[in-house]
Amino acid sequence: MTTDQLAIEFENFQGELKSFLLRITASVQDAEDIVQETYIKASTKINTFRGESSLKTWVFRIGSNLAMDQLRSRKRWPDTVTDICREESLKNPQFFKEAMNIRQTSPQGNFEIKEHIAFCFTCVSKTLPLEQHLALLLKEVYGFKLREIAEILKQSEAMVKYYLHVSRNQMIDIFDQRCSLINKQGICHQCTELNGIFNPKQKAQEELAKIEMARDAEDKSKEELFDLRMKILQELDPFESGAADLQLYHLEHNRKVMEKYLGETK
Amino acid sequence: MNSIPTGKASTRKTIFSRETTVRAKIEADPSIVWALLTHASDFSRWNSTVVSLTGEIREGGTIELKSTLDEKRVFKLKIKEFMPEKRLVWGDNMGSRVYSLEKSMGGTDFTMSEKIGGPLFPLFASFIPSFDESFEQFAADLKKEAEKIQKAKK
Repeated sequence: MTTDQLAIEFENFQGELKSFLLRITASVQDAEDIVQETYIKASTKINTFRGESSLKTWVFRIGSNLAMDQLRSRKRWPDTVTDICREESLKNPQFFKEAMNIRQTSPQGNFEIKEHIAFCFTCVSKTLPLEQHLALLLKEVYGFKLREIAEILKQSEAMVKYYLHVSRNQMIDIFDQRCSLINKQGICHQCTELNGIFNPKQKAQEELAKIEMARDAEDKSKEELFDLRMKILQELDPFESGAADLQLYHLEHNRKVMEKYLGETK
Repeated sequence: MNSIPTGKASTRKTIFSRETTVRAKIEADPSIVWALLTHASDFSRWNSTVVSLTGEIREGGTIELKSTLDEKRVFKLKIKEFMPEKRLVWGDNMGSRVYSLEKSMGGTDFTMSEKIGGPLFPLFASFIPSFDESFEQFAADLKKEAEKIQKAKK
């Protein structure tokens, strides 16, 4: 393969790589930087690509390594991340002022509950151990096969199976305990709460009825509800959606809050 | 050792020591069994004999274990041997717990044994509860979880 061919192929999955890296790092800047670094590294090493895996798998491996190098020394987030960040945002009037400004002026400033569900998963999944986090996203959101994930993470397929099993169970448990969309006793209502702020004329129940995961919550198993949550992520590009600006602003806020909370402020 | 029926614990006692062993045939790849045995923070999820396990299960690492055998006591243990997918040993001055994994046709032959003892052992031997039931439960939990992961769809 030549670097020219790489450039063409890279274009086809660059968007997926960038959204994957955003969901891993929770940072727009880091995601963009790593995409660029990945491309540079892939170009310089293209002569070592033997076609034993697909080019996409090979490139995701480079990107994943770069992300893991950056994140390995960083602490993982607690499962109360959304509570902690909510408290901080309430203490910060500037946060809502800026968010409302984005809501009113940006063409990608809509607020949609569905998009917030994806945003919420990005925050909560950072509670998982790093390798498990990557494995879960690669499988459930980006559709890689076990063998490909093993290749990307340099692990055996059996270990990947373990990562997927444990991470999936952990996410299912956290959302079952917290998410009021799927469990009436769930303690987190942030998506409907924010919908009331950003879309005051909208009726949350009508909006929720459009979301299969919320609408069918009582009839589906925890497993099925998790699959529906993953389907929402699969269908959304966090950089291109109609709510991208607002959600990315919120994500940036949460990341900064967590860095401060974990004592990692640069 | 191989005469012990699978899933059933057996204990051998002498004046100065006691050794309990359990074996299990697990229909899962050794790396899945190894993953379960070496991810400390995940232990209490699948293993009903463990109340909590903190620390790092790696060569030279240390762990703190609370078992259902005595929930008030925290065992501070050192990882003495760490041979991926083959052998794991942790313990303290009183004794060692040895996990052995052997790849077999259908998956993994798993053996767990623990030997405790020493010159003062006869003085406190009667205060140490039997490990048999807990060992059988441990092996059953491990088998169940590893096979569940193995059977998970690709």
